[in-house]
Amino acid sequence: MTARRQATTWGRRLAALTWKELLQLTRDLPLLLFLLYSFSLSVLVSGAGITMQLTNAELLVHDADHSPSSRELIHRFQPPYFAFAGEIRDPREGLRHLDAGRAMLLLEIPPRFHEALMSGERTAVQLLVDTTNAPQGLSAAAYTVRIAGLFGAERGLASAGLSGATASLPMVTSAHRVWFNPTQDERWFQSIAHVLRMTTIFAVLLPAAALVREKERGTVEQLLVSPLSPFQIMFAKVLAMSGVILLALSLALYGVLHPVFHVPMKGSTGLFFLLTALHVFTTAGFGLVAATLAKNQAQVGMMTLFVVGPMLLLSGITSPYESMPTWVQAIMTFSPLRYYIDITYGVMLKGAGFPVLWKSVGAMLLLGGTLFGFGMWRFRRQFQ
Amino acid sequence: MALKEWKETTRDRLFLLLAFLLPALWLVVFGYGLNLDVEDIPFAVLDRDHSELSRDYLQRFIQSRYFSFQGYADEERALDRLLTDTKIRAAIIVPERFQEQLVAGEPVAVQTLLDGTFPLHTDIAKGYVIAINQAFTEDRLIDFLRRSRGLTQEHAGVLVRPLSVEVRYLYNEEVRSTWSMVPALVMFTLMLASPLLTALGVVREKETGSIYNIYSSTVSRAEFLTGKLLPYIVISLVNVVVLWLMAVGLFQVPFKGNFLLFFSASVLFVFCTTGIGLLISLLVQTQMAALIITMIVAMIPTILFSGLLVPIASLTRGAKVQAHLYPAMYYTNIVRGSFLKGVGADVLWFDLLALGMFAAAISGVTYRLFTKRPKA
Repeated sequence: MTARRQATTWGRRLAALTWKELLQLTRDLPLLLFLLYSFSLSVLVSGAGITMQLTNAELLVHDADHSPSSRELIHRFQPPYFAFAGEIRDPREGLRHLDAGRAMLLLEIPPRFHEALMSGERTAVQLLVDTTNAPQGLSAAAYTVRIAGLFGAERGLASAGLSGATASLPMVTSAHRVWFNPTQDERWFQSIAHVLRMTTIFAVLLPAAALVREKERGTVEQLLVSPLSPFQIMFAKVLAMSGVILLALSLALYGVLHPVFHVPMKGSTGLFFLLTALHVFTTAGFGLVAATLAKNQAQVGMMTLFVVGPMLLLSGITSPYESMPTWVQAIMTFSPLRYYIDITYGVMLKGAGFPVLWKSVGAMLLLGGTLFGFGMWRFRRQFQ
Repeated sequence: MALKEWKETTRDRLFLLLAFLLPALWLVVFGYGLNLDVEDIPFAVLDRDHSELSRDYLQRFIQSRYFSFQGYADEERALDRLLTDTKIRAAIIVPERFQEQLVAGEPVAVQTLLDGTFPLHTDIAKGYVIAINQAFTEDRLIDFLRRSRGLTQEHAGVLVRPLSVEVRYLYNEEVRSTWSMVPALVMFTLMLASPLLTALGVVREKETGSIYNIYSSTVSRAEFLTGKLLPYIVISLVNVVVLWLMAVGLFQVPFKGNFLLFFSASVLFVFCTTGIGLLISLLVQTQMAALIITMIVAMIPTILFSGLLVPIASLTRGAKVQAHLYPAMYYTNIVRGSFLKGVGADVLWFDLLALGMFAAAISGVTYRLFTKRPKA
């Protein structure tokens, strides 16, 4: 009986403290407005606006041949990958455009191009690529090689009288089937990625700032001499902030992702929210550890930035995780976002359930537990 | 005023340490760690033909550095599971009679299953598959022409591959990811760390109430704001020099441009970034709000709309507008231009002008917003 009463008081205290945190948050109007913006308009803009696939690579052409063949080749550089930026007379003029960043590619077609192709001789076109952005430059070069290769093979075989008879040639063609996002709608990926970013930033910062604020003002001593346990103090903050974040996330999910971008939810919605809560808890652990180390909010800001930056860039939404150096992959096993990415895309797009995701979930639990434990230990020790 | 702020900052040794350490450490971590090339795509194979030719074909994928071979599957359902589980990102299914058809001079379609969750990577993987298929096809065609028409290897080669592309990479001749990343990362670290330095300055005084001392003192508005900015501008400029030295010394990125131009652009940019922090600090009431808003305002547009990862040209209109409303894009142009392209003010004048305007606008707005007699 007493145990049960103790448990209810414990719960009530936790609830009261959580409520206090929520009240405090609702009084901060600029912050609330910003939270709303981050999970609605901001998702809309970055979801619709960004394509990392090669798009609109501005192509300049210097055509020294002006023949049917050269025109046909130029015609094969099509949107969305390429954007024709005009023809130039002088290659040096093209270089100036590249210098100024007005074009990314310069294709030079030599004189006698048509003639060479018709008579079955070898010929070559030259491509100048701006590689200040290396991946994009490489990608553009690869497309060009592919386009020219196909075009050349067609012409070469035609000159040998083999055109139109493709059925009798030994060719390997690719039949692609893209899973989980058949139309390769990049908005699905980008909008989800943006929500993941926002969730992570808020999950680190909100509880950390809330905790360090009490420290800075000295109100944390008052809380500690009250009958509240350190766990309750920390947990109430995380609970309140997680609630807010989950609410904001549903806004993004039902206000933007589903109605605007038609992102599917193949798996279980309940599972997704449950695991999001787990991610928020784990990530909040980082913030709490930082909060116990910091003396004021400026320090906490710096420390969390230190953690959040690499987390956002190296966990796998901005760059391909599989091609990261091993040491980065090793460091990133400590990033909850890394698991949450697999979970989110898994549940939403692949319809993955717990049997597939249990490893990621286990890793997050372990990480979150450790961080919380460490944070608690630091928090207790500081005031004894 | 500046001295007071300076003292307050230096007293907080941990903060100061982080303010200097963070940009440098980030440059190392991202400079070495942020690899944007899509390589080692994990894939599995279902070979239904088990012939010499199918093995030869698959070998090309297994040996490619773009793919990382995870093993053979016995049935299609096994591939499904591996894809859902994200154990593999691609699967190749070689059909029955692969060799038979090719030798008979018939076309064969090879099926590839691709994980579409990351459309960029899917697209690149597709490109790799097509390239390997193209190369394999060329070899088969040459072989076929030699056997059926009695052509020489040389002659058949010309017929199949008459057109080649000579690619010349400009500005970054060896196409090193680090060369294109590190200069942009200088922008990235400055953009993220600097506003955070100033963001808490005013709001801290608001929260503790010490701002009333300022309101009632003889310190003018301009003096107060300059005092708040100056120490952090100094810190950020020291960081600019450190980052530049690291880029040139540690990462061996060539610096082809004019250092004076680069440095003055950096001064303008630092004015913008620290100004943004201060502006936010004026607008909000709590440090917590200042912290979070600054971090998001600094981070999200910088990752997405600065040209760091995505070229401005490939953004849609709405996103492009947002990119132009933000100083990071202009500074990225200047940094990349100065490091890799070696272009000068004749090309970069517009970006420089834009930065100047941003700096002026931000300081103007900040000055207007800060009154010594707040309404409430």
